[in-house]
Amino acid sequence: MDMEVSRIWRDPELWVKALPSVILQTTCFLAPLVMTFILTFQKTQNFQLNWTWNLATWTDVFTKPHYWTILGHTLFMALACVVVCIVIAFPIAYGLATRFRAYDSEIKVLITFAFITDATLKTFGWVLFLDKKGAANYLFAHLGLPQETVAFLFSDWATLLGMVYNLLPFAIFTIYLSIDNIERSLILAAYDAGASKFRAFWEVTLPLSRPGIWAGSVLIFLLGVGVFLEPKVLGGGKSPMSAELIRQTFETRVNWPLGAALTLVLMVVAIFVVLLFSRVAGMRKAGA
Amino acid sequence: MSKNWYSDLPQYYQRQIKAMGLDEAGMNRRRMLKGMAGAAGLGLLGLNTRQAHAATQMTYMCWEGYNDPRIIDPFNKANDTEISFDLIVDSPGGFAKLQAGASREVDLVSSDMPWITRMGPAGLAMELNPDDYTEVYADFYDQFKPPFEPLMNEGKTIGVATRWGWVGPCINTDVTKPEVWKTYDPVFDAANKDKICVMDWGDWPILPMALHAGINPYEPLDEKQLNEVRLVLRAMFKNTRTLVGDLTQAQKGLLDGSLLGCIGAGSYLTSAVRKQGHKNILAIVPEPKNGLKQGIIWVEATAVLKETDQPELAQKLLKHVVSKDAAHALALLDSTCNVVTNKAVESVFTPEEKDILQMDYMWHAYDNSQMHRVAPNIDEMLAIWQEELAAAQ
Repeated sequence: MDMEVSRIWRDPELWVKALPSVILQTTCFLAPLVMTFILTFQKTQNFQLNWTWNLATWTDVFTKPHYWTILGHTLFMALACVVVCIVIAFPIAYGLATRFRAYDSEIKVLITFAFITDATLKTFGWVLFLDKKGAANYLFAHLGLPQETVAFLFSDWATLLGMVYNLLPFAIFTIYLSIDNIERSLILAAYDAGASKFRAFWEVTLPLSRPGIWAGSVLIFLLGVGVFLEPKVLGGGKSPMSAELIRQTFETRVNWPLGAALTLVLMVVAIFVVLLFSRVAGMRKAGA
Repeated sequence: MSKNWYSDLPQYYQRQIKAMGLDEAGMNRRRMLKGMAGAAGLGLLGLNTRQAHAATQMTYMCWEGYNDPRIIDPFNKANDTEISFDLIVDSPGGFAKLQAGASREVDLVSSDMPWITRMGPAGLAMELNPDDYTEVYADFYDQFKPPFEPLMNEGKTIGVATRWGWVGPCINTDVTKPEVWKTYDPVFDAANKDKICVMDWGDWPILPMALHAGINPYEPLDEKQLNEVRLVLRAMFKNTRTLVGDLTQAQKGLLDGSLLGCIGAGSYLTSAVRKQGHKNILAIVPEPKNGLKQGIIWVEATAVLKETDQPELAQKLLKHVVSKDAAHALALLDSTCNVVTNKAVESVFTPEEKDILQMDYMWHAYDNSQMHRVAPNIDEMLAIWQEELAAAQ
């Protein structure tokens, strides 16, 4: 096995094939990342970047608790969004993949539409619906319910609603593809072996759809930690998340070193969480 | 040794440039960048021949509205120019972009006055000779004529004020009375919990709150004063329903009465709604408190970049932007309406337009306001804002 790997690495054809990808990754990802890291060791003076090497920015990051409060809040919201999305997406994806197979193409087109509809439009739409004087309260008032029955706009709940609404298609699509690829004969074999519908689902369908659940979770988590619109528009800006903090630092404070440092912290923590979960998931899989 | 546009390039290319005679052809980095940008633009736009025939290309960094065809087209026609726009969405971002190198491509900038002022010490803005602008200033309100201290750097004028307005509570007179807002007290009244909106526009909400706390944010502040700012922001967040960055969200809340008042904004927010016929939406300024004026006058200004390769044309454009016809268009845009610094425009305003702009109120607002300029401790105050916002979660 080792010899085979070694042989592959010596294969010039492989290197040629990999070269465009390596160049792309280096110039478009690695180089900006290194630049961002270098930027954190500079300072700003009179709103101007001053190329003086120092650790002031990192000292600031590690001594001011509010950065970590916002980061913690961001991680919590992203994880909550993952859980809610998966719980909602799984039955939808399962139903679409098993009960509505005749409409397979139409369903895929509809899911694609969800991706290409502008998130700003959808988010502002929720404001009109959830506002004190919005459509929801108007309808409830006509049903005889108290005024302002729906009163959770500009709260974390509204932010979570917006996040789930905008990111749900990612979970539905990945889980749908995963369930759609499960061999039907495996489920039939479980039935032949005497498994009930629930047991066949629990021991065959669910484990085999795990890659889709995992892919959807990672996607939603990473997109969730970077949300900007939902906390601002639906959350009322009172519980800022990391993306807004970074925007404020770069744009309003023109403190690029601090903005770069906060960006790196967010990236590292998000990657760490993903790796941690993948390890836990891997251990559970090995245990099973 | 003199530095030229290609001296940063490797020696090989420098020799090639010299060999091709490009070093003596009046070529410079700015023209090369513009030429490249122009060529790329033409390629992408499928060769718009009318534009391609313009003799001179210029770049104008400005807020949306300054690029209105009613303002720009007459200038392009009269001077055979093609102006491309670099629209800014926030003044600090525009300033940072200029410092990051955009100053080599931009000829003219229209932005918030403190950021135009900062262009002086940063070495970005060209010093203007007020004598060259005698005709322009002849039409100006006295308040904005030189020597206009907020736009001066070391005694030199570095920009011309274009339009202005006031920062103060924005209210709906159907749900509250202007008399109630003679101070910022309603912002902190527990009875108004979840009825106050704060515009999340950088320093805009911070400075009025500092004034309310008895602190003049335009003077250097010590730790004790900064702590007062912290306390007043903390109290403000307790009562705040929402922080909004988008004008329309605040305008909607004021119109439907779900918001009692909006702070950190002012005439910039209310005028467009008034233009739609909602004259019950007002921008007012509180009365002075313990001798400290509570309102803030914001001013937008225009400056010529030091590195422009067309200083005369850029100054001509500056004069055009503040001219009577252009200023009239600038005062009444679809997105926002604001008074301008050119007094001559008053003669072309209709009574309805004057009412939209609250012109009967503007000098009262001016007299009860601080002039918005560079606040020495603004970065500390912005950091405090972030800390208190995080703590309020």
